Amino acid sequence: MEITDPKLKEILLAELRQRLKTRGLSDSDLTEEQLGQMLIELSAGLERKADQIAEAIKPPTPEAPAPEKLSKVKEEQFLRLSLNLRLQHFVMLSSIVILIITGLPLKFHDAAISHVIITFFGGITNSAWIHRFGATGLIGVGLFHLLYTVFTVTGRRDFMLLLPKPQDLKDYVKQIKYFLGMTEEKAKFGRFSYIEKFDYWAVYWGMIIMIGSGLMLWFESFVMSFLPKFILDIAKEAHSDEAMLATLAIVIWHFYNVHLNPHKFPMSKTWITGKISKHEMMDEHSLEYEEILKTRTGDEAVKGGRS
Amino acid sequence: MRILISLCAGLISISLAVVAAPPVQKCELCHAKPGFQKKLDNGQIISLYVPPDSLAQSVHSKRECNECHRDVNEIPHKPGLQWVDCTGCHYIGNLAGAPELPIYEQYRESVHGRAALAGNKKAPICQDCHGAHNVQKYHAEGSPLNRQLLPASCGRCHIEAYRQFASSIHGKLLSEGNPAVPTCTDCHGEHTIEKPEEPGSAVFSTRIPETCGKCHAAENIVSKYGVSIEQVETYTESFHGIATTFGSKKAANCASCHGSHDILPATDQESRIFPANIPKTCGKCHPEANANWARGKIHVNASNKDAGIIYYVAAFFKWLTISTLVGLVINIILDLRRRLMKNKKS
Repeated sequence: MEITDPKLKEILLAELRQRLKTRGLSDSDLTEEQLGQMLIELSAGLERKADQIAEAIKPPTPEAPAPEKLSKVKEEQFLRLSLNLRLQHFVMLSSIVILIITGLPLKFHDAAISHVIITFFGGITNSAWIHRFGATGLIGVGLFHLLYTVFTVTGRRDFMLLLPKPQDLKDYVKQIKYFLGMTEEKAKFGRFSYIEKFDYWAVYWGMIIMIGSGLMLWFESFVMSFLPKFILDIAKEAHSDEAMLATLAIVIWHFYNVHLNPHKFPMSKTWITGKISKHEMMDEHSLEYEEILKTRTGDEAVKGGRS
Repeated sequence: MRILISLCAGLISISLAVVAAPPVQKCELCHAKPGFQKKLDNGQIISLYVPPDSLAQSVHSKRECNECHRDVNEIPHKPGLQWVDCTGCHYIGNLAGAPELPIYEQYRESVHGRAALAGNKKAPICQDCHGAHNVQKYHAEGSPLNRQLLPASCGRCHIEAYRQFASSIHGKLLSEGNPAVPTCTDCHGEHTIEKPEEPGSAVFSTRIPETCGKCHAAENIVSKYGVSIEQVETYTESFHGIATTFGSKKAANCASCHGSHDILPATDQESRIFPANIPKTCGKCHPEANANWARGKIHVNASNKDAGIIYYVAAFFKWLTISTLVGLVINIILDLRRRLMKNKKS
């Protein structure tokens, strides 16, 4: 490398002479080679600095992330949650958020934050009505889901696929072995893995307990017109305890699976878009993916046959 | 004539001397006579008799009559004498040696003090409760404010409350000499006394659980008498208790079910919480209440086996929650660990 620009060379040389002078030297004390090297180093230092400054002040180039995005768009997407299911999920999650923030303060009534929350909702009478509003949403979506399960083809199909089978236990054992490094082969799942089945039936259980006990507490006088008080005490205990279990399961387990898991962090967008990528499909529902491929080739075969 | 003049002069000089400074002993000339009394304009007769040794036996034994009766300086007294104002000595920073306590200021701000200062003649001032001449320390045997006599003292004005209290479990035990039961001031306060409707009152609806809890949540007080301390805690955990904690004035507090002055134990047929009376008691707020409302414990402690089936329901959920969460967390840890292993490899 050599400095070709004579003007730059002159400036650098002047600078270098200045430095040498303060040390009682002149350029004649150095060999031509030493002089050349020092000039190059000076120039390289300036280059580096200029690069740093340019890096710091230049606006981020908008084109940069584009190639990545493009590749994502290109990847095939599979519809996992229909609009109907996404709306069910949305009504359910909104109801549950309302129920938790107006319900848990009652359980933790000594905590200062509970008093802040109840005051925010305008006192205990108001927050109780907001809780019932949330409850109405949850009951509504529960009933809707029952009708969906009974009266739609996909509802019936998914319900059958969600029923626990001995294969789930085998899958679970296999997955634990994989977790422990005893095998390199992951369990292969169809449309619903044992995790999703567990989640579904946990919610089923929670809905029955919470709605059942909640309605009893809501209409306590009606219930006690034919049942003794201690039945309501059971309902209250169950409501409070299952609420805690459900909240913890959502915050720890569900949030891990759809938010905090390094694979999904910060959030899986499936609940909004309804879609999962081909990569996720192959990774998490490989059997279902194979099914789909088979139908496709079958379709193509049919198409081919027709043409 | 001379004799007459000198007699007159003597009388004048005596009367002048009396006007100038009535010696204390002179008060006793009249006020030590039993039956010394006065008829007021409204026809009411008030006794002006002061038992001769009453001041000597009081905490004010070293005081002279006119140290308190400051406007009495001639005999016969001028009309329009004022009530003795104790604050002449009883104030913070006094030089007379009276105790310096916050109670003087507290009284002024209390319901009694405010009414008295506003000119309500029926409102009690210091001497109405503490006594006038025979003022004793409040716990002394002769004080109208000692535990045994206090209810009757308050009852001079609060007649109905006193009647109810006297036949309540607290009142009955008090008359038996029980040292732990509350009297009026234990719940209502003394110089800080307020109407129950005032948020500052110790018997304001949302403060009642705390006030009753001073004894009923204190093991060293009620446990000796076979009374459970669980009741305050179980109330706090109930829907009524939670609503009260969050400031509801509608929700039932201790007194709503147990009564206040007329509290009786659940074993007493007259009690509001005698099982047969429970539907009626609940019915004050819940008109639908029937016999089913009494079938089950009212104060339920789910962590106590006495709660019966509720205990087992709570235990079931406790173990369901623990086992579920432990299982889920183990699965999360295993999943994370494997993902991290994979990352390292790649």
